[in-house]
Amino acid sequence: MQPNHMPDAPAPVPADAPPKQPLDREALRDVIDLSLWVGQMLIQHGADAQRVEETVHRLGTALGCDWMDILVSPNVIAVTASSGEEFRSKIRRVVRAGVNVAHGVRANGLSRSVAQGEMDRHQLRTYLPQIGHTARAHNRRLWVATPAVACAAFSRISGGDWVTFVVTLVAAGIAMVVRQELDKRRFNALLVITATAFVATVFSAGAMRLGWGSTPEAALLSSVLLLVPGVQLINAAQDVLNGHLLMGVARGFSGVLMSLAIALGILLALWLLAVRIP
Amino acid sequence: MDLWLLVLREVFWAAVAAGGFAFLFNVPRRALLVCALGGALGSLVRTLLVGSGTNIVVATLAGSAAIGFYGQFLARRWRMPAAVFTISSAIPLVPGIFAFQAMIGFLQVTTTAPTSPLLLQARLVEAGVNVLTTSLLLGAIATGIAAPALLFRRDRPVV
Repeated sequence: MQPNHMPDAPAPVPADAPPKQPLDREALRDVIDLSLWVGQMLIQHGADAQRVEETVHRLGTALGCDWMDILVSPNVIAVTASSGEEFRSKIRRVVRAGVNVAHGVRANGLSRSVAQGEMDRHQLRTYLPQIGHTARAHNRRLWVATPAVACAAFSRISGGDWVTFVVTLVAAGIAMVVRQELDKRRFNALLVITATAFVATVFSAGAMRLGWGSTPEAALLSSVLLLVPGVQLINAAQDVLNGHLLMGVARGFSGVLMSLAIALGILLALWLLAVRIP
Repeated sequence: MDLWLLVLREVFWAAVAAGGFAFLFNVPRRALLVCALGGALGSLVRTLLVGSGTNIVVATLAGSAAIGFYGQFLARRWRMPAAVFTISSAIPLVPGIFAFQAMIGFLQVTTTAPTSPLLLQARLVEAGVNVLTTSLLLGAIATGIAAPALLFRRDRPVV
């Protein structure tokens, strides 16, 4: 977010600075390929449009271009790099992946190293692929447990008692496993959300039917919170605020769809267990 | 006294939730604790304001603005994008309860007998209010997080 006040923003070029050496077509191709790569990575892992544009621009100009024009749209990133008389353009398809802040941080770190002149484009080319291949930093058991604890914490915020806390913990933990397994098998993203919400609700609503805890609604609502597209929706609002309307609307819509997918999963489970919400 | 205990409880669980979601988003390990603290900060501001009678949307705006400035401060110190800290910290403010109630509300509308138009009307209105509150709260969160950018960085657009 807010990339132009990021600490690493390069100082504005003084008016009397020597002009940049124009790049040849081979070099331009390399620059544009690398900056598209970084841009794609940022979009995939949940950066907002403004940050993508500015990071790509900064990277390209640091690698020797005079100017970069970037078009960030929901499924595509397009870049034109200009240097001297020469320019080249390229488009790359962007497939959405989940939110992964570590990738964004590393892509950002690389672009900062380039901007500060610590890295040239050949080094960047060797480091960049490593980002995509690094596994999650955290181990699997923690990876299931921590979001479950977060959801259980939410049940406390929503006024749940300790029984509800435990029910939420279990339901969200199981949901997390289901989600991972389905994601691994590459099902449709919305289908995964619906199925996960269904499983979580079967457990929390089951506890409700058995009469566990005095605040079962809190479990019902908190156990699906790990699915709520919070980043998506916040990003959408931020894109709209920054004037990236297309991106904002697309992200907002996909956030709404994801919420509807959650609702569908909950409703199916409630219907199956014949649970009535007062 | 009781009020403070309540606030403390809320803030504690908000910190746990923010830390957990930071983990889910694969925030680098050394930043996890800071994200949890950010969640506590936002929740503290909001809970105190709501407790003193402020409208929840305004209180959320203030809470997320606190998170925005906090993230900005950390971004400078740690040389990471501010979003690393702000997004997970803001998660406890996301209006899950209102969204859930809106959904259940609309479901009830569809199952209400058409023979009781007054009940239908009441439920429709309630669900609509919940949808509105949800969107207002989301807007408040985004505006609050972006507040440092909107207020202080109007110069030098990079692109």
